[in-house]
Amino acid sequence: MEQSRPLLEESGVGIAAISYDSPEVLRGFAEKFAIGYPLLSDAGSAVIRRFGLFNPNIPSDLRAHGVPHPVDFLVSPDGTVIRKYFVPNYNHRVTASSIALREFGVSAEGAAKVTVRSGPLTVQIGLSATKAFAGEEVAFVARFTLEPGWHIYGSPLPEPYTATSVAFDDRGIIRQSVEFPAAVPARLAATDEILPVYSGSFQVPGSLLLKFPLDSGAIALSGNIRFQPCSDTVCEPPQALPFDLPLIIEPFVVATKG
Amino acid sequence: MVGVPDLAEKAAIMREVGRLRTAGQPIPPELYQRHVNATNDNYATGPDPGQSIPAFSLPDQHGNLRSLADLAGPAGLLLVFHRSAHW
Repeated sequence: MEQSRPLLEESGVGIAAISYDSPEVLRGFAEKFAIGYPLLSDAGSAVIRRFGLFNPNIPSDLRAHGVPHPVDFLVSPDGTVIRKYFVPNYNHRVTASSIALREFGVSAEGAAKVTVRSGPLTVQIGLSATKAFAGEEVAFVARFTLEPGWHIYGSPLPEPYTATSVAFDDRGIIRQSVEFPAAVPARLAATDEILPVYSGSFQVPGSLLLKFPLDSGAIALSGNIRFQPCSDTVCEPPQALPFDLPLIIEPFVVATKG
Repeated sequence: MVGVPDLAEKAAIMREVGRLRTAGQPIPPELYQRHVNATNDNYATGPDPGQSIPAFSLPDQHGNLRSLADLAGPAGLLLVFHRSAHW
């Protein structure tokens, strides 16, 4: 989150974390990890309860008693919830960098970005961050640019055309979602069909949920962009453009007693 | 509801996972999944988009009281609820 703080601040968004730890514990944590944003102490979990996030499943003799269900809120300056982020597994979190990329279009400096090209199509695809923990959600954006006179297809499509897709391989990832913008229905001169097409430049955001557990260190998130480029007169065969995006999986810090 | 453990059973699952972690032993995937299910039972997520968050005033790591007005930027605030900074 500290890596993403400048991105969000650039976009005019503050960050704060809440936990049930005392200010002393939070100060130690902030110093140890060079955290620059406010860590709020909700000792006794009163605010956690007021938000309706108190987790009632943990018995009072376990130290986890009092924790919230892990939810992130993006709120407007007047306190209205703009968006809410949660993944129903407390080991999985939506990263602040993922939010920065999805909501504000900014990615961390040095975040993996690669440009792949084939014929009339160029795609720049990049991740929201350089590093993440196992179980976190990382965002990506694929920026498509087509040469004039060429188009690729959206969905739904009849045979034998191939729709455009961005798909990551399973390695390191348990779930992915991709949001193509709406394709434009266009009447194609050659066949007089009306099909959903993309042309010019457009962006495709998405998110990846990393596996948990995952070995720390460098990982290559790979995938393919599948598409079929057609001009007004000719269709090329469907193609697949492979890509690789490096990411560092950070090791968990094992807390010690004391 | 059939199959949903009660609080005592959830506690036993959590204690067993804690014991294995402390002992540095691997946690069997089936036990881990039961642990996650127990922890997430009746998952609540708080106010929805469009609703207001409750007012709060909490000390930060420096002991200064903070609330929404001084935490938010012009575009708002990302408020993250953590299990703990300590563990």
